[in-house]
Amino acid sequence: METPNQPNMANGRSEDPVKTMGQRASSVSDSAQQAWDRTRDAVSDLKRAADIDGRVRRNPYGTVAAALGIGYVLGGGIFTPLTGRIVGLGLRLGIRLALLPMMKDQISELADSLGGEIETNKGRRSGGKAAKTSER
Amino acid sequence: MEMTEQIEATVREVGARVRPQIEEAKRRLSTLDDTVTDYIKENPGRCLIGALAVGYLIGKIARKAA
Repeated sequence: METPNQPNMANGRSEDPVKTMGQRASSVSDSAQQAWDRTRDAVSDLKRAADIDGRVRRNPYGTVAAALGIGYVLGGGIFTPLTGRIVGLGLRLGIRLALLPMMKDQISELADSLGGEIETNKGRRSGGKAAKTSER
Repeated sequence: MEMTEQIEATVREVGARVRPQIEEAKRRLSTLDDTVTDYIKENPGRCLIGALAVGYLIGKIARKAA
């Protein structure tokens, strides 16, 4: 005769529901723990490989801006008018910043050459006047 | 000549009045910069994930708006 506390061995398996549920819960918990450990290891490996902490310490604003940019690209914002505007603004600024020193050099060269010409003309004029006074 | 002197005096006066405010603003900005930098250095993961999320949202909004 079968008692309520005895497991049902009719199909050759232990079918104590409480024990099975406990085992399943324990196995799920173990799997979750393993998955969590693996994820943590992977994240720490990635952090070590990319030297994220070092990068953040060296250049905090740059790293945050890079993360913002990666997020923007992942969000699908790359082929949008906003990107066009940002790129256009960056290009214009870059060109101006690159052209400014060149223009400054050109203008200073022009000013030097003009100054030289003015000095030469003055010298000529004063030389002519001196010659005229000596003639008199 | 008198006009130039007047303009110079006015500029000097305005400069003297504005300089302390500019100095104060500079000091505040410098403090804010230090605070933000320290926070990022202390919580790099949180800041990077936050920036990633904000960038993602901006990208999504820009895509929807296009």
